[in-house]
Amino acid sequence: MPPSQLKQLKASLRENGVLGPQKSKKEKRQNAKTGVGAKNRNQREVALQAIRDRFNPFEIKTINKSSKFAVTTRDGNTTAGGGARPGVTKSLGEERRRATLLKEMNSRNKIGGLIDRRFGENDPTMTPEERAAERFARESQRKMRKESMFNLEDDDDEMQLTHMGQSLSFDGANQDDFEAGDLDDAESDEETSRKRKRFPDGDENQDADPDQDHEDFIDYGDEEQPGRKKTKAEVMKEVIAKSKFYKAERQQTKDDDEDLREALDKELPDLFEALRGIKPAAKATKAEAPRQDFSEMNPERAAMLEESQNSKDPEKEYDQRLRQMTFDQRSRPTDRTKTEEEKVEEEAERLKKLENDRLRRMRGEQLTDDEEDSMDQDEIPDDDESEIDDATHFGLPAYPSETRPELGVEDEDDFIIDEDLVETDSNASLDMGDSDMEGDEEASSSDESDGPDGEDELINGMTLPTEDSAAASTAAEINKEANGKLAFTYPCPKDHESFLSITKNVPVEEIPTVIQRIRALHHPRLRPGNKDKLGRFAEVLVEHVSYMGNETEQPPFAILESIIRHIHSLAKTHPLNVTIACRAQLREIGKERPLNLLPGDLILLTGLSTFFPTSDHFHTTATPAHLCLARYLGQCTTASLTDLASGTYAASLCLQYQKTSKRYMPEFINYTLNALCNIAPTEPTVKFGAFPYRKSQESVQLVPSKKVTPRKLQFRDVTTSPSDPQAQEELKISLLATLVSLLGSASDIWAEKSAFTEIFTPVRAVLQHLHQSLRGKVYSAAREPIQSTLNKIDSHLAQARLVRRPLFLHDHKPLAIKTAIPKFEENFNPDKHYDPDRERAESNRLKKEFKRERKGAMRELRKDASFVAREQLREKKERDSEYEKKYKRLVAEIQSQEGRAANEYERARGRK
Amino acid sequence: MPALVTDSSSKKRKSGKNASGPSSKRRAVAEDNFAEKLSTIQELENQIAESRKGYNNIATLLSMLNVENNAEKPEMAVAVSLCRVFSRLIAGGNLTESSRAAENEKIVVAWLKERCLDYQNALVAIMREADASSQIAALALSMRIVKERLAHIPGAENNVWSTGFFKDIFAAIIEAHNGQDLQSEAITKFVKEYEDVRYHTFTQMADYASTKRSPEVLEILIKILQACDEVPGPEHKFENFYAKRDTKNKRLVSANSHRKQAQEAWLAILRNNLSQSQRKNLLRMMVHNIEPWFNRPELLMDFLTDSYNVGGATSLLALSGLFYLIQEKNLDYPQFYAKLYSLLDSELLHSKHRSRFFRLLNTFLSSTHLPSTLVASFIKRLARLALNAPPSAIVVIVPFMYNFFKEHPTTTFMMHRSIRDKDLLAEVEKEGMDDPFDPNEPDPNMTNAIESSLWEIETLQSHFHPNVAAIARIISEQFTKQSYSLEDFLDHTYAGMVTADLGVEERNLKKIPVVEYMIPKRIFTDRLLEEDGGVDSGPGCFMRDLWEF
Repeated sequence: MPPSQLKQLKASLRENGVLGPQKSKKEKRQNAKTGVGAKNRNQREVALQAIRDRFNPFEIKTINKSSKFAVTTRDGNTTAGGGARPGVTKSLGEERRRATLLKEMNSRNKIGGLIDRRFGENDPTMTPEERAAERFARESQRKMRKESMFNLEDDDDEMQLTHMGQSLSFDGANQDDFEAGDLDDAESDEETSRKRKRFPDGDENQDADPDQDHEDFIDYGDEEQPGRKKTKAEVMKEVIAKSKFYKAERQQTKDDDEDLREALDKELPDLFEALRGIKPAAKATKAEAPRQDFSEMNPERAAMLEESQNSKDPEKEYDQRLRQMTFDQRSRPTDRTKTEEEKVEEEAERLKKLENDRLRRMRGEQLTDDEEDSMDQDEIPDDDESEIDDATHFGLPAYPSETRPELGVEDEDDFIIDEDLVETDSNASLDMGDSDMEGDEEASSSDESDGPDGEDELINGMTLPTEDSAAASTAAEINKEANGKLAFTYPCPKDHESFLSITKNVPVEEIPTVIQRIRALHHPRLRPGNKDKLGRFAEVLVEHVSYMGNETEQPPFAILESIIRHIHSLAKTHPLNVTIACRAQLREIGKERPLNLLPGDLILLTGLSTFFPTSDHFHTTATPAHLCLARYLGQCTTASLTDLASGTYAASLCLQYQKTSKRYMPEFINYTLNALCNIAPTEPTVKFGAFPYRKSQESVQLVPSKKVTPRKLQFRDVTTSPSDPQAQEELKISLLATLVSLLGSASDIWAEKSAFTEIFTPVRAVLQHLHQSLRGKVYSAAREPIQSTLNKIDSHLAQARLVRRPLFLHDHKPLAIKTAIPKFEENFNPDKHYDPDRERAESNRLKKEFKRERKGAMRELRKDASFVAREQLREKKERDSEYEKKYKRLVAEIQSQEGRAANEYERARGRK
Repeated sequence: MPALVTDSSSKKRKSGKNASGPSSKRRAVAEDNFAEKLSTIQELENQIAESRKGYNNIATLLSMLNVENNAEKPEMAVAVSLCRVFSRLIAGGNLTESSRAAENEKIVVAWLKERCLDYQNALVAIMREADASSQIAALALSMRIVKERLAHIPGAENNVWSTGFFKDIFAAIIEAHNGQDLQSEAITKFVKEYEDVRYHTFTQMADYASTKRSPEVLEILIKILQACDEVPGPEHKFENFYAKRDTKNKRLVSANSHRKQAQEAWLAILRNNLSQSQRKNLLRMMVHNIEPWFNRPELLMDFLTDSYNVGGATSLLALSGLFYLIQEKNLDYPQFYAKLYSLLDSELLHSKHRSRFFRLLNTFLSSTHLPSTLVASFIKRLARLALNAPPSAIVVIVPFMYNFFKEHPTTTFMMHRSIRDKDLLAEVEKEGMDDPFDPNEPDPNMTNAIESSLWEIETLQSHFHPNVAAIARIISEQFTKQSYSLEDFLDHTYAGMVTADLGVEERNLKKIPVVEYMIPKRIFTDRLLEEDGGVDSGPGCFMRDLWEF
């Protein structure tokens, strides 16, 4: 059985040295001298408190059960509730409520009252002395700040030396004058407070925001005598004062910032030390001291001091100067007029950059993305629509990310002036914002730096075509002679029909002029809607190109060329419209006549190869155009000579498309070899290779004779086939020559391909067959190209054999085997969250915090409510008891009165 | 069987109503002349129904039918009324002769039978020669007669179905003039609908096709057979009969005998002289339509091996049937892989059966026990073909190869080979090398393809179409994927690729397309050529060089 409480108490008191053997007087004295006594007393207090706590088990909350296992929780190692002292917290909360809630409750339904906002008034931690000192400090600070260091009129009237209550200054009269004159910026403190008393709350705010005072200060000054008219001098003074004040304020804030920064810089080593674990010396207070001093000394002097300090700081000044210089607009050097060489160099640079861009696009740029996509292409299970999925997976990532919209600036109407394009389009460096303003007719003024303004004038001149000068300065010969006949204004056509109706009565040769006028008349600068209109117009023109190619027997190529160039220049400003129109045409081809291309389609495809870079790895228009050609070559059937001619045209177009990018096109080889086999005078007896041989429906076999020689093919051959057999034979042999030369060019283009041998061995076989079958039957001029192509292919084949090596494709770094070891956290800390997903972790944290706060708030509210209820009950009880008391008093009074009266009555009766 | 009698009589009445329905309608619009004729027909018919004396009217009606010399314009109203008459007579037992009947009675029956035969022949003639609507009506009428005879004349089953009237009907349907409507009507209304009709059609068909027929006729036969695509399973309950069934006869209710008849019919057709396109067509539906009917599929073997040896597309089509036999029936086909290898020719990738072939090829080569040399030969051959293939075929070939490389790791030397032998290396460095692969070797085990490299696919990595190039690039990537599912790559076409690139209609382009930065000085003409010193070197000079615009 443990000893009794009393015994335990005594024992612990003794243990802690509270009770102990009596000390001698000498010892006591000694202790008092050295201050050990005070220390001991403190220690004793602490020990006593601990003992008290220990012996009051109800103060400390304990858990009922000891935990079975050692657990680690997120809340640290403390077990729940251990060591908590509910009584203390409860009483604390109660106290706090009494201080806040009770007050509020009592002041409920009451209006008015005083709020003491004096500095430190309700701060129990401050002694009255401290409070006074602080207030004084604030006061003087406020005064300091009010004054600008350059304001000479601002006098230090508040800080005066006095003696026996008398001012020691010599200019007392002056000061009086000031008061009498009532000049706003030199008012005494008393005055301020007097004035401000008129305004509610003003007094209380004074301490809180001294800065605001200044504002008020000046305003009050103005409002003070609204009736009195100010003299000019006064007004001027006011203005000067104000501007000075603002300037000073700005200066002040800037300086403050600088100081702060400096102070922080100075503290940096301390911070480092602190980080290393060394306690920083209390330098901050020292640094603060001189500032404090300023507030008490003569402000002028302070300003002087400060200034000198500032000027001493050369770095600061330098910074300032530098800043000034950087922001000074005038200091920028003007653009020097460039010399010819520089211009040429710049131009070359620009072209080089464009070419590099093109090459990058050709390579497909995001090579890795491509492959990744091809890898995961199947992971997304795609069944029937895999077509589209494929396209998105394989096609789109290859899209060049860097478009070149800035190039839109380039000359669009250059052909009007017939200037060299390369000379004029040098605006590539201008940004996107300018790109919708075309640099146009101003090609003559080759300096682009004078920018949009210069252009504007030129366009305006251009838009009034009646002016001869405008026409003369820009027009080619056609325009001049056309001026008499053609109308000057045309509406901007919205669709192809309206364009046709516009050009119905216009001779074909004049169409470019009409287009040029429409473009000039609807220049985007002239009206906001014109840009869209021109976009539509570009689409119409695209449509018109294929229309012209189809409608007319022999398309006027000079006109078509001009229109295509117009489209090209429009495409620079309206790339989307032209693309959409081209794609629409391609779609129509794909739907209606994939295997039967019309001449108009061929012309459009030719034109398309000039607007769009066909070398791109993927291009929204060029790629489908390729595909159209490939489909035509791959699947069309040869029924007649015209078919063969248009096929040959398409094949040559294919090669032109691949001129730079050198991509392989199986359909081209298939088609040309097939066509050659069909034309060959003797039918091939053996198979020459893996290309599928399809006989033409109508024989196109060449009948070799010495009469015909190959000529250059004409576009007309695509549309009409000659009826004369002689001419037919001529066409056949020219087709043959062209196809052979195409194969020669193809072998040049694809010479680098690793499978060159496989591709061109059949070609060689076919050519040899041709050569043999023509031997001695035609002029040597017809056989010559075959022989030369054969020689070329032979040399390429030999070269291909020389460079052929086994494939070495998988020289990859070996892939790491996937690890299955669980990821252990070294030094796991249960307090930390290890969620790798930062967002989730953050949201979890917030949720938790919210939950905790909510619980806390609910608890507080509940406690508040119970407190309120308790208070109300107490009040009610008080009121009741008061009433009771009063009632009792009254009853007692009445009783006593009655008693007295009864006594009197008794007495009176007794008297009777 | 009074119930049956009443049943048929009620049907008769209904059919009578049906017949009079349109006639009344017709009367409303037709001329008086026509109305008169109808009323006389009605009168004659009534007389026949009233007494035996009216029987002579049958002859009158038959003559009114107007089919004596040619049956192009028959009087269908008469045919309908005659059908009613005969149905009534058959149902009334007037066409059955009892042995105890009087002599004159027998004469009447014999005369009636003769008239009935006349009527049947007339109907057949109508089906053969008349216009489509009359043909269909005649078909319905003759089928009704068939039904009545089967219902009321005992022992008529054999007589009607196999040798008698139905045979004529069948022949008439097949040989009918402009008979597409008639045939489709027969297929939908009778052959597909009723199981007994189908059974007997099969029988007739086998009989009919046992002699050589013209391709057109065979086409019709195939069409009819193809329409019967519901093969009865062994548990199938045969309940859907057109006519009364002889309960003793079990053949009609056994799935086996149904299938046997179908098998006979199909075999008869397959043995006939088929045109090339019909053969392909048959091969195409071999697995789904023909083989299920066969109790003994090995009977198809001759046909399939013959077709396989034809070569070209026919061989491709025969493959699947043959494979089925090899797999299921242990058909021994020597040199199967050599034959398969020889099928990989220049036409294959351009043929429309490409995806079908690739599916099969995938199955044939999926065995891991195949020698690597053989697989390598197939890979190399496909690579060679890919050099001349359309994009849609390349898109299949490359993932296909990928799967092989995964299955047969020894073949991966075709993508990656470092020469260890110093002498050889020096030689290759100095002189280059030839492809060790022998494309002309027919035996896939001897082609030496495994020593070769896939330069062809490497070249296709620069295919003009970006998607194809991207797919070709998978062989030079790390082989991290287990396999590609081939189905996703089959069945691509030019049209599909164009649609994928262009979309069905314009949607918003994500990026502003790039425009060529330089406007060329000339596109078609020799404009301003002198400025460049007369040498055309700008973009597009290639075209201008070859063509004159």
